[in-house]
Amino acid sequence: MIALVRSEWLKMRTTAVPWVLTGIALVINGLLILVIFLSHDGRNGPNGGGAFVSPGYTVPHTAQQLRNLVGSGFQGYILALLLGVLCITTEFRHKTVTTSFLVTPHRPRFVAGKLITSALLGAGLAVIMLAATVIGGGLTLSARGGSFSDMIHQLPAVAPGMILVFALFAILGVGIGSLLTNQVAAIIVTLGWFIILEGILVQLVHSAEKWVPTGAATAASNLTRGRAVDFGLFNWWQGTLLMLAYGLLFAGVGSIILTRRDIT
Amino acid sequence: MPSAIEVHGLSKQFGSVRAVDDLTFEVPEGRVTGFLGPNGSGKTTTLRILLGLVSASGGTATFGGRRYANLDHPVHRVGAVLEATSFHPSRRAEDHLKSVAIGALIPLSRVDETLDLVGLSDVARRRVGKFSLGMRQRLQLATALLGDPEILIFDEPSNGLDPQGIQWLRTFIRHQASLGHAVLVSSHLLSEMEETVDDVVIVSHGRLVLQTTLADLAQRAGTSTGMRIRSPELARLTAALATIPVAYRQVAADTLVIDGATPEWFGPFAAQHRIILYELVHERGSLEDVFLSLTHGFDAANPGLAYGTHTGPAPMSGGLA
Repeated sequence: MIALVRSEWLKMRTTAVPWVLTGIALVINGLLILVIFLSHDGRNGPNGGGAFVSPGYTVPHTAQQLRNLVGSGFQGYILALLLGVLCITTEFRHKTVTTSFLVTPHRPRFVAGKLITSALLGAGLAVIMLAATVIGGGLTLSARGGSFSDMIHQLPAVAPGMILVFALFAILGVGIGSLLTNQVAAIIVTLGWFIILEGILVQLVHSAEKWVPTGAATAASNLTRGRAVDFGLFNWWQGTLLMLAYGLLFAGVGSIILTRRDIT
Repeated sequence: MPSAIEVHGLSKQFGSVRAVDDLTFEVPEGRVTGFLGPNGSGKTTTLRILLGLVSASGGTATFGGRRYANLDHPVHRVGAVLEATSFHPSRRAEDHLKSVAIGALIPLSRVDETLDLVGLSDVARRRVGKFSLGMRQRLQLATALLGDPEILIFDEPSNGLDPQGIQWLRTFIRHQASLGHAVLVSSHLLSEMEETVDDVVIVSHGRLVLQTTLADLAQRAGTSTGMRIRSPELARLTAALATIPVAYRQVAADTLVIDGATPEWFGPFAAQHRIILYELVHERGSLEDVFLSLTHGFDAANPGLAYGTHTGPAPMSGGLA
């Protein structure tokens, strides 16, 4: 399995997919950091809520604000999800799956290799984004008179959860891709669900929030904080198991379908 | 001679199409077996079933009794050159081979060796998207050879190769057989394979027509000579021919082929009936003719050729000599 994962990593890094996705993630991350630092001078509203910066301050300074800064790359989970989807659907798009199945004739094993590789790459993406935030956000913070060390103190509260969630989303992506091997269809369904449908569902059926993938992932992200239950979500390990269940269920059904499929 | 590949009672149904129908044949070690049949006769499907890419509806296709998926190290045992499209266009040739080598636990030194062997060393770092069809075909071959397999399977390998490439491939295939390896090569053209194969497995409409040696096929070709006759009096000629037990077929408005006939017999026959002749050609049967008559004549419902036959399926031997 280690050989398979190494082979998958080589296949991934010799296409544009991980690099383009990482680039997009970093650009979005940079923009969000910019928004955080531009949101001073009471722009957060009359109540002075100050999710990013308190009224009267020019930089984040409360623990919560600094956590929001450190976790500003969190929305990149959608790119970890796409990483997983593309990891498997690219094989079908370019018909490289023929060669892959000749090397790994046992198809569930092929899917397992993709799951592990994508989980590692998803986690890697989270690490890259955290590093970029610490460097980019930290430098900006220090330059404007904020406390870099206070920011670093919040890293343990944010980083483990974010790395876990990115890995879980990448696994879910492989699951979706193994069910929907048509790349375009898989991307449309994935983005359609996570950007539009899931939000509508939660609005209509509020109790569904803790059960949908984003709710489960949000719970999982509280790995080192344990506040998700306050918002009516599962606790972190329940959320993690639920996310894993989605990913592995899809991948399992996908493997069965793939095993029966003729590669012509 | 032990069999490297055994196909037994193999069938494949695609919806209403029976692509492979109760097909049985064997491929021995140390020989090159040509897997021949017209396009759409089930060759590719059979090879893909062998390689575990397509599931069989019935029967078995095994290597030494084991299905491809059950081989311990399939890439070390069996090398396959299938259609030349399965590369990621932005991946470099070298990286493609490395990904296979790593996944199949093959030392990376084999990557350079196989690139060298197929003559792609100079373009190892080039992206496959910029490769010509012939280069892709060579890269496919390099992929198949990575594990140094003792069984090689080629699906229409000449497609996209230039004449030098085809010549090189023939030499390569012969060399593999001389090492004791089993080689199965599919083609829709027997003429392409004549110099390469020892045995032939001929299929048509998914069914086995004939498994034999090339030598035996050549013998059959030798007996299928005939006369091609162009005449303005074809109606009179056919009337004359109808009185004797001879098979003939009309191949053009003014042309007949009489199977098994010789000039020594036909010359006096035409003179006796006072038939005007424009052209009189003693046709030497070729392997290709035998192949065509076997694959087209096999299914009488399939007109296939531009001419009809007088006596049903084209006869293998003439009534007169």
